[in-house]
Amino acid sequence: MVSMSKMGAVWRSAGSAVAERLFLDRQAEFWMGELDPVRSLGELRARVVEVIEETEDTRTFVLRPNAAWRGHRAGQYTSVELEIDGVRVRRCYSISSAPGDALVSVTVKRVPDGRVSTWLHENVQAGQVLRLGAPSGDFVLGSQTPGKLLLLSGGSGITPVMSMLRDLAMSEGIVDLVFVHHARSGADVIFGEELADLAARHPGLRLVLCLDDDTSTPRGFDEAHFAELVPDFAERSTFLCGPKPLMDRAERLWESVGASERLQLERFTPALRLLPPVDSVDGVEVRLRRLDRTVVAKGQGSLLEQLERAGERPAHGCRIGICHSCKCRKQSGTVRNLVTGEVSSEPDEEIQLCISMPCSDLELDL
Amino acid sequence: MNIQSKNLTREQADAFGRELDTLRQEVVADLGERDLEHIRQVIRTANRSEAAGRVLLHFGLGPVSFVLGTSALGLSKILENMEIGHNIMHGQYDWTRDPALDSQRYEWDNVCTGDDWRHSHNFEHHTFTNILGKDRDVGYGFLRVTPEQGWTPVHVTQPIVAALLALFFQWGVGAHDLRIDELFSGKQTPAQLGKRARPFITKAAWQLFKDYAFFPALALVNAPRVFLGNLLANGTRNLWTFAVIFCGHFPEGVRVYDQAETENETRGQWYVRQLNGSANIEGNRWLHVLTGHLSHQIEHHLFPDIPAARYPEMAPRVREICERYEQAYNTGSFRRQLSSVIGRILRLSLPGPMVAGLAHE
Repeated sequence: MVSMSKMGAVWRSAGSAVAERLFLDRQAEFWMGELDPVRSLGELRARVVEVIEETEDTRTFVLRPNAAWRGHRAGQYTSVELEIDGVRVRRCYSISSAPGDALVSVTVKRVPDGRVSTWLHENVQAGQVLRLGAPSGDFVLGSQTPGKLLLLSGGSGITPVMSMLRDLAMSEGIVDLVFVHHARSGADVIFGEELADLAARHPGLRLVLCLDDDTSTPRGFDEAHFAELVPDFAERSTFLCGPKPLMDRAERLWESVGASERLQLERFTPALRLLPPVDSVDGVEVRLRRLDRTVVAKGQGSLLEQLERAGERPAHGCRIGICHSCKCRKQSGTVRNLVTGEVSSEPDEEIQLCISMPCSDLELDL
Repeated sequence: MNIQSKNLTREQADAFGRELDTLRQEVVADLGERDLEHIRQVIRTANRSEAAGRVLLHFGLGPVSFVLGTSALGLSKILENMEIGHNIMHGQYDWTRDPALDSQRYEWDNVCTGDDWRHSHNFEHHTFTNILGKDRDVGYGFLRVTPEQGWTPVHVTQPIVAALLALFFQWGVGAHDLRIDELFSGKQTPAQLGKRARPFITKAAWQLFKDYAFFPALALVNAPRVFLGNLLANGTRNLWTFAVIFCGHFPEGVRVYDQAETENETRGQWYVRQLNGSANIEGNRWLHVLTGHLSHQIEHHLFPDIPAARYPEMAPRVREICERYEQAYNTGSFRRQLSSVIGRILRLSLPGPMVAGLAHE
């Protein structure tokens, strides 16, 4: 039986190699997409089934993924890919639905000046198709649900812990759970109704909302107030996600009581921000991911010249920006285009080494 | 008649280049959904045309469906090689970040491998355009297309050689980067050539299998018909691409450069050389799309990685800049450019004419 399945796998990979040589894969992908845009041979795509207005600035996009979706674990995130003005852009969002739900949800807060979240809010409607990335992240409930749990969140940081709460509610796993959430006001509590409903139905769930507009309590996360609310916090397995100030203060609190190993946290990747270009590139570190080497850029010159000076031999051609042979993926950092003068800090961006100058530490997919 | 380009000083050439850079920037800033929609529409047309062609060839009976099927298949191959493959591989759509439009990963329906093409065409030809001894596209090493190339008795046969190249053009393109001529000059050993040729041989074998075994076999009793239809579709594509490409660089008025005059060339001087080494074909939108916009060879050589469908709107601006700098803008009808190329191939198969500054004739 083992050899049978092995043979099957060999046949399938040989078949796909032949299909590629005959361009049949490309044509199959084209015709599948023509018949139904959500279908694909290998790409993870999803149709938007519903858009739910959660709060004034937050929406949930309920998605029905295609067959390439392999499920997720509560707390993980996925990337959503959009085409904005013809350019594909990807952003990561926590999945707010439970793994057991029939549909997958991502809940997105509209960030001022955030190109992707704004576009999602303004343009994405039910019926449209989005591309997704495979779910990932280690911010997940362990296989054995611990007895005493604390889910601590602020603002849109509620999304991954909501997935956990829904998962536990579904599997009757709520034994002794405290859910503390911070928001500006009652109207800003994402999933507010559902939280109240869950708290009413599950005696093991204690819901605590810390609202900024409640003048009887301190604003935001306050150590003393929090210790009063959850005196046994240090004994609880805790999952934390929220804005940076909240996370930093909570992390220090757990450290001070020596309970850091019971605290798990999810930091949102910082929103895209244009770093000020530096005048001198001296000392800029260029990390070459695949080669597992770091090169220090010194003096003037394009990235290609810098890398060559450091003894690297990246693929290249014309050296004047026309042939695209030296194209490579910049995972992070800021570069200046020597032809257009444009400065860009976009993560996961294709750049041409021969006409790019480093403006900050970089990570390249080389 | 085209006027001759004025020789520009380095400063004038740089000013000329800056104006073209400004134009380039304007278009880059404006790239967006309509460019993506255009290439997707052409891909859609090519795929539909291929499907229609195959259905007609595989299931049709009689000469009408044969001619229609072969034409539809030929059309899809022309679109795929020219407007889609050639332009995607130039990086014209890299800005979209769509993996299907990625210059470094695209593979076209042609015996030439994408990697060989990216090297010999995108890099060598587009960087060293029309520099004798550096741009191996000037006559492809065996045709005499400009009087600056010395005459040898072999060139007497070039009208026949050129006709054969036209019929088998994809094989010429496929073997181009193997540098077979370097075998005779001793720059390459047979073992090196064998190693270099391996990807080409593999790809060519798969292409032959696809067109002349796989698809005919699928057609069962219609196998001979499918075999012949594929042969004619490939041949049509060969003739068409040959004609378009020869009109782009070899008509009267296009000039070549020697290596000494292009040493330490500035970006502006590179632009001037691209302009003077290229020629356009005038025509309507359909002609432009069918040539992959190589009918705008001048704009293509100035801006090889700008989506080609933008060339028609850039052309009047380029022309206006050329006029101000007294640079010839070589353009003409398809008939005129093609007869100019044919005339030149015939004329240059014999010795001469004298070229000022060349002592060997």
